[in-house]
Amino acid sequence: MMAGSMDLSRRSFLTGTAALTFTVGSAGIVAISRASPAERPLAANAWVRIGADERIQIIFPSTEMGQGSSTALPMIVAEELDADWDRVEIVQLDRDDRTYGNPLFGNVLYTAGSTGVYGYFDTLRLAGAQARAVLIAIAADEFGVSPGELVTEPGAVLHPPSGRRLSYGQLAALAPDTVDVPSDPPLKSPEDYRLIGPDVTRRDIPAKSNGTETFVWDVQVPGMLYASVLRAPVEGERPLAVDDEAVLAMAHVVATVPLPDGVAVVARRQEAAAAGKAALSVTWSDTAPARAFDSEASLAAYTAAANDTAREGAVWRTAGDAAAAIQSAERTVEATYLSDYAYHAQIEPMAAVASVDEDGEGAEVWAATQTQSWTMRTITETLGTTPDRIRLHMMTMGGSFGRRTALEQEYVRDALLASKAVGAPVKVTWSREDDVKFGAFRPAAAQKLRAGLTGAALQGWHHRVAAPSVIKFFNPLRWAQVEPQDIIVMRGSESQFYALPDILAEHVMTERGARLAPWRGIGASYTSFAAEAFMDELASEAGTDPIAFRMALLQHNERGRRLLERVAALSGWGRPPGETALGVAFAGYGASMAAGVAEVSVDRASGAIRVHHFWATVDAGLVVAPDNAVAQVEGGIVYGVSSALKERITIKDGEVQQNNFYDYPILRMSEAPQITVEIQSVDAPPTGIGEVGTPMVVPAIANAMFALTGRRLRHMPFTPERVLAALS
Amino acid sequence: MVALNVNGQSVDVDATPETPLLMVLREHLGLTGTKFGCGMAQCGACTVHVDGRSTFSCITPVAMAEGKKVTTIEGLTEGGHPLERAWVAEAVPQCGYCQSGQIMRAATLLDENPKPTREEIVAHMSTNLCRCGTYGRIVSAVQRAAQEA
Repeated sequence: MMAGSMDLSRRSFLTGTAALTFTVGSAGIVAISRASPAERPLAANAWVRIGADERIQIIFPSTEMGQGSSTALPMIVAEELDADWDRVEIVQLDRDDRTYGNPLFGNVLYTAGSTGVYGYFDTLRLAGAQARAVLIAIAADEFGVSPGELVTEPGAVLHPPSGRRLSYGQLAALAPDTVDVPSDPPLKSPEDYRLIGPDVTRRDIPAKSNGTETFVWDVQVPGMLYASVLRAPVEGERPLAVDDEAVLAMAHVVATVPLPDGVAVVARRQEAAAAGKAALSVTWSDTAPARAFDSEASLAAYTAAANDTAREGAVWRTAGDAAAAIQSAERTVEATYLSDYAYHAQIEPMAAVASVDEDGEGAEVWAATQTQSWTMRTITETLGTTPDRIRLHMMTMGGSFGRRTALEQEYVRDALLASKAVGAPVKVTWSREDDVKFGAFRPAAAQKLRAGLTGAALQGWHHRVAAPSVIKFFNPLRWAQVEPQDIIVMRGSESQFYALPDILAEHVMTERGARLAPWRGIGASYTSFAAEAFMDELASEAGTDPIAFRMALLQHNERGRRLLERVAALSGWGRPPGETALGVAFAGYGASMAAGVAEVSVDRASGAIRVHHFWATVDAGLVVAPDNAVAQVEGGIVYGVSSALKERITIKDGEVQQNNFYDYPILRMSEAPQITVEIQSVDAPPTGIGEVGTPMVVPAIANAMFALTGRRLRHMPFTPERVLAALS
Repeated sequence: MVALNVNGQSVDVDATPETPLLMVLREHLGLTGTKFGCGMAQCGACTVHVDGRSTFSCITPVAMAEGKKVTTIEGLTEGGHPLERAWVAEAVPQCGYCQSGQIMRAATLLDENPKPTREEIVAHMSTNLCRCGTYGRIVSAVQRAAQEA
């Protein structure tokens, strides 16, 4: 667990300790204050606190779901502060959007879209640099010299001419009541970095290697009860009648609690809550429109919409005149690509712990989500109260991949309602079956790609994505701001890395047929499949090598060309297909670029694809933590291979048909490829690493299958049945 | 009452015989390093040792552990363990949720086969899922621990 992620440790540190607190507004530090020894902790709206005992606390404004930002973000502050990293304590931020909100999400506290490092980079550098400048100013005053004569080393200010030295802790104790804070302090040159660049071990790794990390599932508070929730089988239904007589007679069961879309069984023991849920009989309403949800029918409708050229889409990106360019080309090429619903499958199922105050208007809550802001909103809306009455603890997540982003978080709500009803702290935990059945999915989509070819040259590019809006469902408040631009659906279809002077990418808005959520790589997890598989089809039509065809579109993009050149060299591109074959894709996420080559074979009897090796080169600008960046790309590739080969949610009569890992399999170690990742060292602003590994994977596999078999796979996942159908 | 021996300590647990060992360890005894993932022996997050064998505690009735030695991640790593050090050195964990189970699973491999090949590691470890995709690093960490031991 991170230091200070519990209130207790934060208080115990600050109480009785002289500490400097730097309050940072959008323009940087706007105030400095000093806690007297007797003073209680200062307001939490600060990035850096320096104690007289040399401890340095740095606020971590995102939440940790495995990507390592709980180390990377504070490291940026520590770098500019020139802090002694071993003295730095990382403090999980639990609230306060106004001070700490992610600038890329309208100042909402929101950990998503690989934005942690690049969204906060400038803010955190400035915070660290200003804090360092203040310490230098205090030292200058103490030494009676000009600040320009002073330098810092990790944790101390030095006056080289005289050899005098004061540690940051000593300077914190010397701080006057007011200090002038420079608005524009000097920032370090990258060659002076001590922490950014070298491999500093992620702070959370030791506790995650011996079982001592605390996840929300692990929270135990005195008097805590357990709840299992029987949820309405179909979205929109509600409990009409509850027969709980037998359940209430069971040992250790305390109560049943009706919820808007379910019934909770609360018990003194987790096993009793689970048994009570299994024995519960509920009559549900049966009139919800979602009863008609059917994944097969949805995809058929989306396919029709993608191909219905009379149906206009919301423009996602346009340049030049795609239609005219395609029409005037010598030849037109088109293809339709399909993708099914996919589930996050984070290994930690949903859970939350709540302890509602006696008056019902305050609560202590332990939650693990990607957004302090929307978790706080869920709590205050559920209780009809205000944030000042809430003590919220944001816990590290056992994986998330977009799952825990919604505006309304029913798992948090249910813990609150159950706790309020029984007057005791309650831990709500979901079974795996709950997590699958009541998941929120990557949307199914049908995509129509059209392009022209004149000679071997691409001429015009039209990418139609037929899918429902994800944002409209998982965050209607956000939809009101951005409609009709749905980045969660459309990302990747902008194909921005290539020179495509005549392009139209549009979103054909279809009816929603499932609960939806962002998923690792968001839209790019399927739009890049379509775009890069289609690029391969065009190269084939043009009679050009797939890498050479792409290079011709990257004449303006030197960094992109470098990635393709390197991945070609690493993978031994150009060898003729044999038992295995290679396929390439060039994709990325946002402004981060990636080139990947997959080596595949197929069992022609069963249709099972095996991915033997995956080579990837990545350009994400400046990389704060290189080894962790490699780990993120490795993980993103495994996620991509899994989604390419296996993952598919189906829905019938409004109910999800899968249950657990036996019928929603994810990639096992025995199925994982060897992975080679090379991250380019680039002197450019950081652009995000958490999702860049995923989008290239599916098209690289599809393209390798074409190289091996001469057949195109245009419906992901490439299950053995679909592969056999393509081969026959 | 069920009499257990967990991490070398005898403890009586007030649980019905069919209660999953996992729930007893986590919620009755507070040994939360062992995780719930699927409840069906599909993911391995719940892996503990019962008499030295890797066991899915989520499907093991607590009564079946009576009279046997149960070891959890807390017991294995008390005082440090080569696998724990290797996991840190190879920077294996991302979200970390599955890693206790991975380490417990790896430990029984090294007990039986101190110098496993890559193929043997993969075959043994494929019972355990990792959604963050740390498989390559798990193999490296097991190899590192095998060299150290």
